[in-house]
Amino acid sequence: MSKIEKNIRELNKLQNLQQRSHWMNDLHPLGKLLLSVIYIFITVSFGKYSLAPLIIMAIYPIFGFIIGELSIKEGLYRMRLILPLVVFVGIFNPFFDRQVMFYIGGSGGQTGIPVTEGIISMVTLMLKGFYSVLSAYILIATTSIDDICYALRILHVPKQIVIVIMLIYRYFGVMAAEADRITTAYKLRAPKQNGIHYKAWGTLVGQWLLRSMDRAEDVYESMLLRGFKGDFIMKKQKTRPIDIIYPLIWTIAFIVIRHVLIRFL
Amino acid sequence: MHTGVNGEVLKIENLSFSYEKKDQVLKDINLTAYSGESIGVIGANGIGKTTLMKLLVGLNTDFEGVLEVAGHPMNQKNIAHIREHIGYVFQDSDSQLFLSTIEDDVAFGPRNYGLSEEEVEKRVEEALAKVHITELRHKQTYKLSGGEKKLASIATILSMKPDIIIMDEPSIALDPRNRRNLIGILNEIDSLKIITSHDLDFILDTCERCVLLDEGRIIADGRSEKILMDKELLEAHGLELPLSAGCRYKQNIDNVQG
Repeated sequence: MSKIEKNIRELNKLQNLQQRSHWMNDLHPLGKLLLSVIYIFITVSFGKYSLAPLIIMAIYPIFGFIIGELSIKEGLYRMRLILPLVVFVGIFNPFFDRQVMFYIGGSGGQTGIPVTEGIISMVTLMLKGFYSVLSAYILIATTSIDDICYALRILHVPKQIVIVIMLIYRYFGVMAAEADRITTAYKLRAPKQNGIHYKAWGTLVGQWLLRSMDRAEDVYESMLLRGFKGDFIMKKQKTRPIDIIYPLIWTIAFIVIRHVLIRFL
Repeated sequence: MHTGVNGEVLKIENLSFSYEKKDQVLKDINLTAYSGESIGVIGANGIGKTTLMKLLVGLNTDFEGVLEVAGHPMNQKNIAHIREHIGYVFQDSDSQLFLSTIEDDVAFGPRNYGLSEEEVEKRVEEALAKVHITELRHKQTYKLSGGEKKLASIATILSMKPDIIIMDEPSIALDPRNRRNLIGILNEIDSLKIITSHDLDFILDTCERCVLLDEGRIIADGRSEKILMDKELLEAHGLELPLSAGCRYKQNIDNVQG
């Protein structure tokens, strides 16, 4: 299986997750979107040495993965491109901020291992990034792109932006499928080559863009012929009590951790 | 049903079209079609079948002559209104199905035309039932087989209740069972159908009228049984007898010789 085909399969798997029958998937997308934004906002608002309350904030992604029946392994695999960036953030803090905060271990006159403020702030930054990525994953694993766009429209995000998001998502599949066809056709006629020879890159990329444009034009024409006038009309979703209660309870919990629990930790 | 003065749903008079001025793709096309008819448009590769179909749905309006759909002349002003009356089924179903699930795709047209959610729901149910894929309603489009995709594509059009359905090579890449199933479904649809295909047996099974195009002109327009049995006519314009007609033709010759 080619890399592109693998990526297409990954995308399809994510769509399967979004379409499965689960109460978290059925929640109103606006509530889920707002909850994710609030979670990320509160998480990043913790001070750089507030490690203990930040650890408690893990409750939301843990809940999301366990109750939402999401695989943490698959989640981390899908986020593999972003996670190294998260680890990289704050990696130089221990070198700049060397003030010792406390010692680990140490007895009988020995001082133990010093833990500097730089180490704490590095871990804090990493956790903030890690939690943000996980909460975004919980959102996209339980909410389709159509539903996210629907929620954005309720929030009065300009329709041009929402349509661009939707179309990028649509055309990504089209372009990936074309790229897969072209590279497969190339490999089948150049079996001894490892990858694509650099001399063929220009031609293949040109072909890929032209073909993708053709396909994209067909898709667009198909939309026009079914009355598309520059805006996706989406099905209105009814709001049930759980759609309000669920994000509300979590928001209260986040605020309690942020403003009340923090005093005791 | 919206029609012209004489009850025609589609009227084409002296229609000519060229992508570049010197090279005319379509020349003096004249065609009138009435509600309930089923017309097969046949011809060799590259003679302008798809171009003609795209003109009919207003994807190109730079033509000469008269083109009226449901009594409305085709022009930029009427185009949105005309498209409410026409459904176009693309050759490649992947171009037709662009939303996550079948349900969303079938509902896309009716929602765009501002129908109420109850009416959209009703139309989706009816359209899926007509092509016998009600059970696929919540299925994701990428999970469908080729045959299912074709039926779903037709459902996306039926939900708009068009007066005219245009289909570009509908039987392409279908296995015999799906092809047979599609023939049955098309024969149950009572809108005006215009079908382009190289599968002449398919045309014979679905269209009572046939139009033969060559070099951008209409060469013959008449009953399918007559045109599709005319070996000399078909061969003179780059086609061959349909397989079923070929068998009958051979049998007739054997009988005469016997």
